[in-house]
Amino acid sequence: MQALRRVGATTLRTSSTTLSTSQTLIASFSTSSSARSPAPSSSSSASHAAAVSNSSSGAGQSIIPLSNIQAQWDSMTEQEQSLVHRQLETLQAKDWRSLSLDEKRAAYYVSFGPHGARVPVTKAGEPSKVALAVVALLAVSSALWAVARSSANPPPKTLTKEWEQAATEKAREAKINPITGLSSEGYKGKGFVQSK
Amino acid sequence: MLRARFQASARPLLRAPRAQRILKPFPTAVLQTRLSSAHAEETFEQFTDRYVAFFGGVQDIFELQRGLNNAFAYDLVPAPKVIEAALRAARRVNDFSTAVRIFEGIRQKVENNGQYEEYLKELKPVRDELGISTKEELWA
Repeated sequence: MQALRRVGATTLRTSSTTLSTSQTLIASFSTSSSARSPAPSSSSSASHAAAVSNSSSGAGQSIIPLSNIQAQWDSMTEQEQSLVHRQLETLQAKDWRSLSLDEKRAAYYVSFGPHGARVPVTKAGEPSKVALAVVALLAVSSALWAVARSSANPPPKTLTKEWEQAATEKAREAKINPITGLSSEGYKGKGFVQSK
Repeated sequence: MLRARFQASARPLLRAPRAQRILKPFPTAVLQTRLSSAHAEETFEQFTDRYVAFFGGVQDIFELQRGLNNAFAYDLVPAPKVIEAALRAARRVNDFSTAVRIFEGIRQKVENNGQYEEYLKELKPVRDELGISTKEELWA
């Protein structure tokens, strides 16, 4: 046990309680495959990206504004995305204290944001939708049950208490099962009565 | 007479009394520990030293992220020393987003928010020195 091994006075030692949390973390530090790949090796995309960057005023110039990268990212072409990657690489080589909030956000979003393989499985508002649908289906099914029940035949007349008591009397008169059963001496059972 | 001698040398076991023929019991006291798990368990301090050394030698993003995946896969939260080494490694390979991600990883690993706050407090000097924000600060 890890907990038993930890002795000493170092603070801030905690064990994670569940295996699942560590499992989910296992893949989580790797940036998405496209995010950290070098500039595209296929000649067409590379030349396109180079052309775009050449058309701008300078190499380090921001061609795609990083402020709104989250909204645009999914609609960008691969060339534009690799361009942003390179912009961010040069940005992150600088002193991080000098980065603006937008640039920091963009760097984080491109590496670990919810796009590509990191799109969450459940969308926002989906759980409540599912819960509502379950409740609605339960309501429909119980309504159907009530309808079927209301139009059903009444229970058979032989299942009333009176009928069962009469049947037991008749069985006694006929001396049914006289040794161990209904008509025997000292019988304490209910006979044929089963309704309450 | 010669024949008897040959017999005696060829099959000594059969001639020995029965009590001697039974094999001696295996020395169980020696085998109290399982041979299959003979490796010593790594202590928390050894773990810390190992990963501080690892992150000290990291030279590219892949190595950094691989080391982080490994360090955070254990049933423990890496000590602040390890985190600091990892943050400095992130600075060395110019990867701001992974530095932010490390704090996200700590937040996942700790048991409650108080422990996360303690980590943040402990690592405050490094964060200020390198200019690392947490995810909460980025989207405050």
